[in-house]
Amino acid sequence: MFTQLFGNYLLNRGLVTSSQLSAALSAAKQTRAKLGVLAINAGYMNAAQVDEVHNEQQRIDKRFGDIAVDKGYLSPGQVEELLTKQGHAHLQLGQALVDNGAMTNSSFAEALSSYKSENSLTDVDFDDKTGNKVDELIGKLYSFADAENSSVYTEYVSLLFKNLIRFIGDDFTPLAPEKIPSARVSFCAKQDLKGLGFSCSTMMDTSEQAFIAFASRFAGEQFTDADEMTEAANLEFMNLHNGLYAVNLSNDEGQEITLLPPTCEKDTVVGGPVYRISVVYPFGTAAFYITV
Amino acid sequence: MSVENLKILVCDDSLFVRKKITNVLKNCGVTELYEAADGEQAVEMYNKYSPDLVLMDIVMPRMSGVEALKLILADDPKAKVVMASSVGTQENLKEAINAGAFDFLQKPISDTQLETLVRKVGK
Repeated sequence: MFTQLFGNYLLNRGLVTSSQLSAALSAAKQTRAKLGVLAINAGYMNAAQVDEVHNEQQRIDKRFGDIAVDKGYLSPGQVEELLTKQGHAHLQLGQALVDNGAMTNSSFAEALSSYKSENSLTDVDFDDKTGNKVDELIGKLYSFADAENSSVYTEYVSLLFKNLIRFIGDDFTPLAPEKIPSARVSFCAKQDLKGLGFSCSTMMDTSEQAFIAFASRFAGEQFTDADEMTEAANLEFMNLHNGLYAVNLSNDEGQEITLLPPTCEKDTVVGGPVYRISVVYPFGTAAFYITV
Repeated sequence: MSVENLKILVCDDSLFVRKKITNVLKNCGVTELYEAADGEQAVEMYNKYSPDLVLMDIVMPRMSGVEALKLILADDPKAKVVMASSVGTQENLKEAINAGAFDFLQKPISDTQLETLVRKVGK
């Protein structure tokens, strides 16, 4: 999840465009973070030193690590340590951005350093499997401070991101939440949640093309039309996500909520106010709405 | 009774879920499969076909899975009805078991869970 949140940071700061980010997220899985990016991330080398080693590699047939050790920028032990971190997803994203020419080693180094410092993140946090730090970051970005049950919304969004990773794919960038008076939806899967302490409507709206692509990923098969089956698949995603949310709410807060059968809405306006949380996938944007 | 001879009724308002479940059951060797899209239909089809196993969603339009479970058991106390829901709260679990459900599965249901279930019923 650090990758998606870091992507959000890069986008918000205007350091990359949405299409550059989408392309890099698609490529990231096939990308192994190179030693230069890893060394910058670890603070062992600066961008100028990395560029110097890269230039050296154009002239002599030696590996990055060997040249960096020769120049005294890295110790053999540090090279070994960095190689174990090649699979870190946010670094793979960084590498893909550098490879695509969307960022330079230097701009990536600066962005990563600012991101870590603004969010008090260390390398240890990126290895944290408890998810506490991710929850903290999500809580900061999606605080819903003006809402009565703000933590309920934050937990909803946090679980949504986890379920998107689990059922649809991790190649998305979440955008900042917006509060809007009403929502015009085109292809929308909607489900109402009713409880004593908390009731709301939840929706996922996409373009027709993204509706088909989202359903295809969820079902694990290729759909070509926005028909009954794609509708059923997307409604089931909402039902599954909301069901898991209801379980968490019951276990953690002792609050019981009932889910109503999900429905599909097309080309209609949903009254608000509503919170909109958009996530950008390579196949299109999915806007999730929760009524206030 | 072998798995091949089992009659199974799958009740879920989602066409997607019904298709997914019936595909797995077909792969397990089950040939006699029935589908219902809500609780009312499930009760009707149970009375008509007397299936050996019912897989029943809880949240459905017209009649919920738990209501349908109670009606089915009222006519056939030995009916094997497995409730399946994405809302696996303690409250729903208790309600289903108290109403006489044979088992409770939390969605998403994996292929392995379904295979294990039909083998258990087919023993």
